[in-house]
Amino acid sequence: MLSLAWHTLRSRKGAFAGAFVALMCAAALITACGVLLETGLRGHIAPERYAGAPIVVGADQQVHWTKHKKHKVKTKSKPLTERAWLSADVADRIARVPGVTKVVPEVTFPARTAHGTAQGHAWESAALTPFTLAAGRAPRTAAEVVADARAGVRPGDTIGVLATEAPRTYRVVGVTAQAAPRQENLFFTGQEARRLAGRPGQVSAIGVFPASAVSAVRAALRGTPAEVHTGESRGALEFADASKARVTLVSMGGALGGTSLLVAILVVVGTFTLTIEQRRRELALLRAIAATPRQVRKMIGREALLVGTGAGLAGAAGGLFVARWLRSLFVGHGVMPPNLGLVLSPFPMAAGLAATVLAAWAAARLSARGTVRLRPAEALAEAAVERRRPPVARTLAGLAVLAGHVTLLVVLRALDVEAAATPVTFLAVVLGAFAVALLGPVLARAATALLAVPLRLSRVSGHLAAANGRAGTRRLASVITPLTLAVGMTCTILFAPATVADAATRQASAGVRAGHVLTGRVPGAGELSRLPGVRAVTAMVPTSIRVGQGKYAAQGVTPAGLTETIDPGVRAGSLDGLAHGGVAVSANAAGHMHARLGTELNVTLGDGTPLRARVAAVYGRGLGFGDVLLPYDVVAAHVDDPLPRQVLVAGGSADALRRAVARYPGVRTAPAAQAAGQRPDTEVNLVIMGLIIAFTAIAVVNTLAMATAERSREFALLRMVGTTKRQIHRMLRLETLSVTLTGVVLGTAIALATLSAYGAGMTGSARPAFPPPAYLGVVAALTVLALLATAIPGRLALTVHPPEALGARET
Amino acid sequence: MPRRDRSATPDAAAVQMTSVRKVYGKGAGAVTALDGVTITIPRGTFTAVMGPSGSGKSTFLHCAAGLDTPTSGTVLLGGTDLSGMSEVRLTELRRSRVGFVFQAFNLVPSLDVLRNIELPLRLSGTRTDRARLEEIIARVGLTGRTRHRPAQLSGGQQQRVALARALVTRPEVIFGDEPTGALDTATGRDVLTLLREAVDALGQTVVVVTHDPVAAGYADRVLFLADGRIAGTLDAPSADLVAEHMAGLGGRV
Repeated sequence: MLSLAWHTLRSRKGAFAGAFVALMCAAALITACGVLLETGLRGHIAPERYAGAPIVVGADQQVHWTKHKKHKVKTKSKPLTERAWLSADVADRIARVPGVTKVVPEVTFPARTAHGTAQGHAWESAALTPFTLAAGRAPRTAAEVVADARAGVRPGDTIGVLATEAPRTYRVVGVTAQAAPRQENLFFTGQEARRLAGRPGQVSAIGVFPASAVSAVRAALRGTPAEVHTGESRGALEFADASKARVTLVSMGGALGGTSLLVAILVVVGTFTLTIEQRRRELALLRAIAATPRQVRKMIGREALLVGTGAGLAGAAGGLFVARWLRSLFVGHGVMPPNLGLVLSPFPMAAGLAATVLAAWAAARLSARGTVRLRPAEALAEAAVERRRPPVARTLAGLAVLAGHVTLLVVLRALDVEAAATPVTFLAVVLGAFAVALLGPVLARAATALLAVPLRLSRVSGHLAAANGRAGTRRLASVITPLTLAVGMTCTILFAPATVADAATRQASAGVRAGHVLTGRVPGAGELSRLPGVRAVTAMVPTSIRVGQGKYAAQGVTPAGLTETIDPGVRAGSLDGLAHGGVAVSANAAGHMHARLGTELNVTLGDGTPLRARVAAVYGRGLGFGDVLLPYDVVAAHVDDPLPRQVLVAGGSADALRRAVARYPGVRTAPAAQAAGQRPDTEVNLVIMGLIIAFTAIAVVNTLAMATAERSREFALLRMVGTTKRQIHRMLRLETLSVTLTGVVLGTAIALATLSAYGAGMTGSARPAFPPPAYLGVVAALTVLALLATAIPGRLALTVHPPEALGARET
Repeated sequence: MPRRDRSATPDAAAVQMTSVRKVYGKGAGAVTALDGVTITIPRGTFTAVMGPSGSGKSTFLHCAAGLDTPTSGTVLLGGTDLSGMSEVRLTELRRSRVGFVFQAFNLVPSLDVLRNIELPLRLSGTRTDRARLEEIIARVGLTGRTRHRPAQLSGGQQQRVALARALVTRPEVIFGDEPTGALDTATGRDVLTLLREAVDALGQTVVVVTHDPVAAGYADRVLFLADGRIAGTLDAPSADLVAEHMAGLGGRV
């Protein structure tokens, strides 16, 4: 049986090429996702700044909680979003541990200079890397700094630094011999560094020497919130945002891998169906002379296994390159720290291969079902002609899947958390496409019946196209599915973020009362309030907090005069409560927290600090202003960068404002307020999901090319009876345009339905963003692709001299 | 000639059809393709089935060969009752006891001549008897061409491969569905001669559906079908006699 399968494959390379390409893409995507996932789970980050300290002690950078499930108690941990600091006392405690010779406490804060953001530290902790002076001397006064070798300054130069307060000019007194590979460092005196860090009595890390003291240090710190890091794990402490990156990698890897697997199955079922459709005569013969249905199924299954294995191996190898490319992309967008290397193990490749082989086999068995069950007499009789009626079972299955799609949409309407809604959104689209695949013959018939009317306007080509559409509904059905999927997926991927972003922007602009908006890291908000005519100044700093186990986008806002600058749509209570330590929550978030006005919330701030706060107001515009509003000072004391990212000013003149902030680098007056809670990684997400779009586009080309290439005999016959090449090309174009139109209509319907449900859940309004230029662009690109995918094989099929093509025996 | 009779009595007919009816479709649109056909085809004979288009020739063949099941009536193949057999059992029966030569597209295009001939044996898991295989290949005149693909062969050669494949399992009956329909006269004659030889030299039973009086002339007996019924038989026919008879049936030949 295997040899029969092998011979078939060898002589039908063309027919299996489509399935091979689809499976290879799937294997590559799944392998790449596997690598990302594994990197997220097991990746290590080499330390840079802490490379010179054998032991580094830092605070626990995770938030923990216990889950009670029946009789089991489970402890769950999630990374904090801001760096947790450690009490400076810990350093004294370590210093007393026998065997410890040197203890170096460290503070870290962002220090923006003219050419980028450096990490500010105290010169006393230079030994952690270690940094040594190449020229000049150590800083002695608060106005002196040492720059690293990257900065390109010399002793005697002056540099402006915007750290966590108003900018200041410092004099460079020394330059280090070293530079960290991927970050800039700037060293101040200990006192100045501690002042700028703004965390009195706290340190971000403590370097301990020598390495041999590690067990004693561990023993001394047992039971305290301090954690001891050595070797690679020092990197995890240094790059606290790396754990965030890991979570992102795991979730992205999972979503992309899962979606591409589903898409692969759908695409491969389509290509196999076409292949089998083209081989009906041969299969009928096998059934008639000797093969039981089981044997035919087995044979098709084995062919698929062979194709799947070949494609899987090629794709798994290619997946490693995709993973590398994705990594460089992530690093470029700052989603992944550059020193988080990819973890390469055989597992992702094995998973890619296994998933592909399984998908191929399942797809083949699925697509062979109808053909194999036929009685041989029927098969022989209808081998040349098409079956007339779509099988009832298939239609019923299609309706069942459609019902599943609708159910998912209902579920989606109730989901208002991005993390939950996104996978459901994609699943809903794939399910919709599955329904189209199953209902394909029925839909194709309906579509051809509708389209026949305009097609007949063209007497020869259009008439032929309409007739072909009627006669070849199964071929049409196989082609419509990838088109539908491509349109549905692309629109959903492109417009889902826009749907939320649009709503957020609408809310933000509706909710801003202030006349002026400043963006960038804006120091000295207090000074602005002294400008003539200014009634209120609201500084806003974003963060994310947890209430219970739920994570929420939050903002710290200046409580004084808040109602002058923003109107978040208060439904209960008053924003004045923020001045007395209260918090405001969006109605949406309040629902998740089971909170009402006056409820005392247990908040975990970004750096893990617990806070109890009473709900002083509940507001409606959660997308525009974030889920939780807290007093500015409460948030600023617990984030890595305490400077506001946005300042709203009510009253005053724009010119005066512009003059006031002119000396702050990167600060601009913006035409409108930025919405809070917008994900910064949308762009990256787009690129990743772009791979899925590319995959569906490949599927479209694949299927159309396959469906056209098999028609050389038909074209030859048309030519023999006097149809010109031009008329045939025209006929092909009209056919392609009709199937593309059908696919676009179905895909758009699926995308609209899905995005409406997504919008209803996420934004409370079922109005999906469907920007016409982008949408028309998608449709136009797909149409061009489809036309090319039929025109090229069509041209090739027509190059054969007609009598030869007709004479060619069925192969 | 040794036979491999498994279930039947030694002198059973090759094919025995009793009151076979076959109706396609339901209700008003129903078409009766066979309407009470009763016939016995003895072993070691060459039977031609003739009739105008739509007379039920193909259905007759399909029902007799276990490719299709009758709506009512019984079909005995070498004494084995086909009624109520599952599709799997019918397939097994076909591959061991029935040989087919269709009008065209007889061969699996991806397999070479030898593999096409061996296919039924391979699918049933039977070991190939080399000597017998070579004898059959020689008999149908394909020696030296066993490694060719079907696409490299002429139409006549393809039919020879099909015939070799039909012979390789020593079937109860070889069914031909217009086996010469796609061939020119001379090549067609060669194929008919080979079929005749299979009956005379190997003692095979051959049933051929045809619309060609010349082809029917090779048979021991001609069955005429019209409107799904047997409209007559003709023993030791000549082409002229057959043509005359067909004209009497009023059908297009």
